Amino acid sequence: MSNIIEVNNLCYSYDGDAQIVKDAVHNVSFTVKSGEIIGIIGHTGSGKSTLIQHLNGLLKPSSGEIKIEGKNIWEEPKKIRDIRFKVGLVFQYPEYQLFEETVFSDIAFGPKNMGLTGDELVGRVEKICDVVGIKREYFEKSPFDLSGGEKRRVAIAGVMAMEPKVLILDEPIAGLDPKGRREVIEMVRRYRQQFDATVLIVSHNMEDMAVLADRLLVMNGGKLEMFDTVYNVFSKGDALKKIGLSVPMVTRVLNTIKEKYSGVRTDIFTIDDAVKYLCELSAGDSNA
Amino acid sequence: MLKDITFGQYYEGKSLIHRMDPRAKIVLLIIDMVFLFLTKNIYSLIVPAVQIFLILAVSKVPAKMFLKNIKTILPIIIFTTIINLFYGSGGTVLLSFWHFTVTTAGVWRSVYMASRIILLILISSVLTYTTTPNDITDAIESLLSFLKIFGLKTAVHMLAMMMTIALRFIPTLVEETEKIMSAQKARGADLEKGKLFERIKALIPILIPLLISSVRRAYELAEAMECRCYNGGVGRVRMKQLKYSLVDLYAAIINTAFCGGVILLNILL
Repeated sequence: MSNIIEVNNLCYSYDGDAQIVKDAVHNVSFTVKSGEIIGIIGHTGSGKSTLIQHLNGLLKPSSGEIKIEGKNIWEEPKKIRDIRFKVGLVFQYPEYQLFEETVFSDIAFGPKNMGLTGDELVGRVEKICDVVGIKREYFEKSPFDLSGGEKRRVAIAGVMAMEPKVLILDEPIAGLDPKGRREVIEMVRRYRQQFDATVLIVSHNMEDMAVLADRLLVMNGGKLEMFDTVYNVFSKGDALKKIGLSVPMVTRVLNTIKEKYSGVRTDIFTIDDAVKYLCELSAGDSNA
Repeated sequence: MLKDITFGQYYEGKSLIHRMDPRAKIVLLIIDMVFLFLTKNIYSLIVPAVQIFLILAVSKVPAKMFLKNIKTILPIIIFTTIINLFYGSGGTVLLSFWHFTVTTAGVWRSVYMASRIILLILISSVLTYTTTPNDITDAIESLLSFLKIFGLKTAVHMLAMMMTIALRFIPTLVEETEKIMSAQKARGADLEKGKLFERIKALIPILIPLLISSVRRAYELAEAMECRCYNGGVGRVRMKQLKYSLVDLYAAIINTAFCGGVILLNILL
């Protein structure tokens, strides 16, 4: 697999006449392989949002470079818009960015900016809606008449309609009810499958990260703290705690059980795995 | 870019001017502005000029802050200067073409006009630099409270509350605008290129979400205020009471002396 994202020694500091020169992102380097799902976690103000805004060229690094598909994105500053179509970025609470009269035209905004017109444009919007499960009957509705979860899905579909190879989502499930969360996660999964996309998700929800992500990127104070598999990151519960993060709830439950019954495994991070493991344990017990 | 918008350009400080009661500052500012317009010519402008530069020095606000303010209205100053060049009558003719003549009187007049505008800007920026926006609103409410004898007490309070809220939400809206701009840029919106009409059209994806979120915020704020039993000023007291002090008295005396100077010069010259 080839590296789709390559970040080398990225530094960024907000300008202004700040006497305290502190980098919002300091000397961050990492690579992401094509097709991976990366979870980005970190305490509030750890530089996650600043980091992801560099990947589609909304922010220009103070120093260091970002390569998408092996090409430095700031090589031709005039073509930075093309990078934004290649790397789709969904901001936090994207439903606040809806502005068109109908759901259809809002989703079509991105593709239209890419220069698509006529049948091609309609085809693009219909395709993405089929993939992520937005029904045709919604097309002529006003986005402002939808429910919170529906608005969120329409807004995310608006970015997906550009069919970016890399999809970055900042807290896509924050503030949604469980049903809305499931729908958004399902939507991201389907998008990735359909388009072989690479996905980066910023989230505070460790449970979802454990289920979704291949690798986790941990940010702390503007620096890259860890970048490893979900297993390896969540195995370092104490280190995570120190920087204001934690392991998934179910792992904490297992930790508590372990205090009473030593020998219980605590390297399980998803509810499904935990259920399976505990069933095996109790089955083993009753056999004995 | 958007961060450069300064409203309520308060400059932190502890000078005498900072310590004055905002009401006294506003009243004296109005008086000084009136006297600035009472001056007859460039000579009688000397008194207010000395006074204003004295105030500037006492306020301890860096000179470059004032220069910044003058720079923003530079086009207006230049425009007035040029227009006034042709308006003076009398004196020797310096230049004459087509229907226009420039005389020495005209030159003096335009210098006078330009200096008056500059002085006006300087003295009013002292108020905004040394007084927080909230203090200004409080002062306005207090100064206008005499209107209550006409049964307008709630109207005055409402006006002050509206100003306070508007000031409070400027930074919030600036932040929000930046967020929405980034989000639409991420969808390929092009805000920098194109003809004027295209550029105006490109603002729609930013203005509509901004408008919607402002309305949403307004509802939320109204609800939050009602939850805390806000009932529009009746029986409300302030945590921070405005109080006149000796500084205000001295300022008023010195100010009166300078105003007397202007009158004197007007009579003498």
